[in-house]
Amino acid sequence: MELVTIEGKWDFNYTYFAGESASRFFHELRENQRIMGTRCTKCEKLLVPARAYCDVCMSVTDEWVEVGPEGTLETFTIITTAFPGLPKPPIVMAYVTLDGADTALINLVHGMDLSDIEKAAQKLNALPRVRVEFIDEPKGRITDFSFKLI
Amino acid sequence: MTDAADVYIEGVAIELSWADRTRSLTELIFTTVSKAVDDAGRGYEGIDSVVLAAHDLVDGRSLSSMVTAPAAGAYLRDEVRYSDDGAGAFAAAVARIEADEAERSIVAAWGRASEHDVEEFSRALFDRIFLAPLGLEELHVSALNAQKWRIDGGDASHVETAQARRATAAKANPRALHAGGKRSTPAYPLASDHLPLWADVVAAVVISKRPSGVRIKGLGLSSEPSWLGDRGVAKAPALKRAAQRALSEAQIGVDEIELFEIDGMTLYDEAIALEAIGLAATGEGMRSLAHDPRCNPSGGSMAGYGVPAMGLARIVEATLQLRGAAGPVQQGRPRTAMASGQSVTAAQTQTVVVLEAA
Amino acid sequence: MSVAIIGVGQTGYRRSFADKSSRELIWEAARLALEDAGMGIDAIDMVISGVAPDALAGEASVERTAMLGFGKPFLRINTGGVTGSSAVFAGNTFIRARRARAVLVVGLERMGQATSSQQVFNTIFDPVYEKDFPLTTITMAALRASMLMRLYGYTAMHWAQIASRSYRNALRNPLAHIHRDVSPEDVLNSPLLAWPIHRYEACPMSEGACAMVLVDEGMVGDRIPAWIQGAASITDSYAMGDRIHRPGATLVDLLSLKLAAQRAYAEAGVDRPREQLRAVELYSAFSSAEAMAYPALGLCASEDGPRFVEAQFTDPTLPVINPSGGPQGANPVSVTAMVRIAEAALQVREMAGERQVADVERAVATGQGGATQFSTVCVLGKRQAA
Repeated sequence: MELVTIEGKWDFNYTYFAGESASRFFHELRENQRIMGTRCTKCEKLLVPARAYCDVCMSVTDEWVEVGPEGTLETFTIITTAFPGLPKPPIVMAYVTLDGADTALINLVHGMDLSDIEKAAQKLNALPRVRVEFIDEPKGRITDFSFKLI
Repeated sequence: MTDAADVYIEGVAIELSWADRTRSLTELIFTTVSKAVDDAGRGYEGIDSVVLAAHDLVDGRSLSSMVTAPAAGAYLRDEVRYSDDGAGAFAAAVARIEADEAERSIVAAWGRASEHDVEEFSRALFDRIFLAPLGLEELHVSALNAQKWRIDGGDASHVETAQARRATAAKANPRALHAGGKRSTPAYPLASDHLPLWADVVAAVVISKRPSGVRIKGLGLSSEPSWLGDRGVAKAPALKRAAQRALSEAQIGVDEIELFEIDGMTLYDEAIALEAIGLAATGEGMRSLAHDPRCNPSGGSMAGYGVPAMGLARIVEATLQLRGAAGPVQQGRPRTAMASGQSVTAAQTQTVVVLEAA
Repeated sequence: MSVAIIGVGQTGYRRSFADKSSRELIWEAARLALEDAGMGIDAIDMVISGVAPDALAGEASVERTAMLGFGKPFLRINTGGVTGSSAVFAGNTFIRARRARAVLVVGLERMGQATSSQQVFNTIFDPVYEKDFPLTTITMAALRASMLMRLYGYTAMHWAQIASRSYRNALRNPLAHIHRDVSPEDVLNSPLLAWPIHRYEACPMSEGACAMVLVDEGMVGDRIPAWIQGAASITDSYAMGDRIHRPGATLVDLLSLKLAAQRAYAEAGVDRPREQLRAVELYSAFSSAEAMAYPALGLCASEDGPRFVEAQFTDPTLPVINPSGGPQGANPVSVTAMVRIAEAALQVREMAGERQVADVERAVATGQGGATQFSTVCVLGKRQAA
């Protein structure tokens, strides 16, 4: 007897509302090519990317502050294997604390020589300084910018 | 069954909205949870537990609470999420306090219908092998139940009055959705206004052992088999058992309850539910819904509906009634109330809560 | 009120079960657990289940298709990677609240039906700020592993040794999915997925179901119990970037696990974990996750981690880590955290067969889920907590 399998697709449509805070963050990316954070009214930390509230204090944020465009790399990985539906490797991904921020921001690191992965890893292990680089035509998405080693 | 310490509802909040572009899902959650904590009146003091109800598929985040739990105050607290109805999560939060595992707990539930396709979600709930290929949705099951109720001799002469009463109540309820929302396409014998008004709903409560306005008197949970054909069509047996358990724990008869907020997706589901909990005789649920002012003064599913927040939404409405704070829909000054919540698929599980003004 | 685990049922784990439907897998695990407990379904007061994420199975609330028993209270947990342990804890709660005397907890992983798990794992991230990146469970682990190497001197060899030890332990576990004698060198020679993580360090995709019967102290009778001496669960912030500068607990300090361990140990009366816990079942999806758990569980100081890895191979007084092979041997995601408790229970009950560790008075099981964000710690013992 043949064991039956039934083909299926798990594909659902959503419209995610980014909300006012993230919308303003994206607007700043597109119009002014700058990275913004918001300050928690209680702990006074400057949270990046900008958000409406601080989940540690459960308090709202108010002040908007520009951070960067330079910062320090905190940790990284180099993706060397392709996964379906995700960008082509090799890709460097890193958390960077932009100057002025109290939290680190994740994005891709571009412009590195990745012909020797170990060598590239050693370079990143030194926690180099980086600079934010915008694409030519920002669209108001998180992928409008990446980091580049200074 | 339990002889543990009493548990009280200290604070409640609910917000219904539709496609509010100014706020993300996490911001909606943060706002309502903050309001419930404010309503309780002593900040985050002593809150050591967070119990949530949310569905990954509703939220469009494959592990919703990873992103959403911190918005509900989960940071460095004992937090758990039920992929179940808000009333079920509420029962679990109460059990935590009774078990002495927590002192004070946030319970929150949400569903943002404007972000996803509710019919698509509903179809996804059914068994992939036997039922999904038929394109079945939960509202089709509601239609099957409604028709069975009519075939079995349910008194349908009160349908229009009951529906008119729901509409009037929903319009008067300041917490209902008054602009936006949407409805699915009705299946026979349901009409469009019998259907739930899909909304973005967030409900939150704060509970603790400290005596305050409303005390939890009884809890009951129950379930039905998976196969639709194995269930008691138009009889809501899980709700019946859950109500019996809650009433028995509260040591009170259903006739003594002064206020009901009973969850049902459609007009007919609400009528059938009133029969299942024992308030109305078989076939007479629609009459109660039409004429008994104790039943669903919030407007029921007409007031706005967002899965899986509705059980907790009913608990919030019942609490406000017991406090005398329900506004234009206040029904006198009830001393006892019953609220219920159902969960997927097509009300397969039910939770009933009996509350008392303390 | 003390609660004991008196029945454990596992289907065993493999890449997929083409011969069983989801409901049959659940039923099978439940049947085995009830059989072990010597009970029928009618004696069960409540059922608690969990499958997460639904997207991996391609079915929503799949365990509801296998509603066990008639009309019982039923709740469904979804806390990502800790779904299985959260379900056990919920059962513990309802019994301690005296709302149930016997609870059946059951979980299922059906990821064999998913065609691309890492694509699914990408959809768990924040759709607004993060979904556009190649963030997956693997890259999240890699971001931390590189930090551990820089801070505490872990090397690629340590990661490989941890993975190899788990593979070799799994050889003694007939329920494991992977039975392969993998040496540290084999791990290092496997392809690099995301620096510094090699393919053989990544867990398999496994299917299978696990179930347990929990009862109150009055129902244990002459059955062999594993007493739940301590159970605690803590949630951390989602934003990993926010944790990098957190004073005293950065990205590689598992603060949530540490706090959960403190609570569970206090309940259980554990004050010298390294001596008192003979068997440790860790939900560590990668070697680096195991390394982060050592200090959080009080097994060694952060900076002593690399030496602790080496000492495991030479010092028989140290606790045995993942005698079952851990997630390296089988990783049925929804139930992996439940399997940790099940395996710890088998150790305490001396029913672990070839993988039995000697003299297990107490064992500990952990769960880890979300963005290394949800942590659970469960201490089991031969006796009730004092």
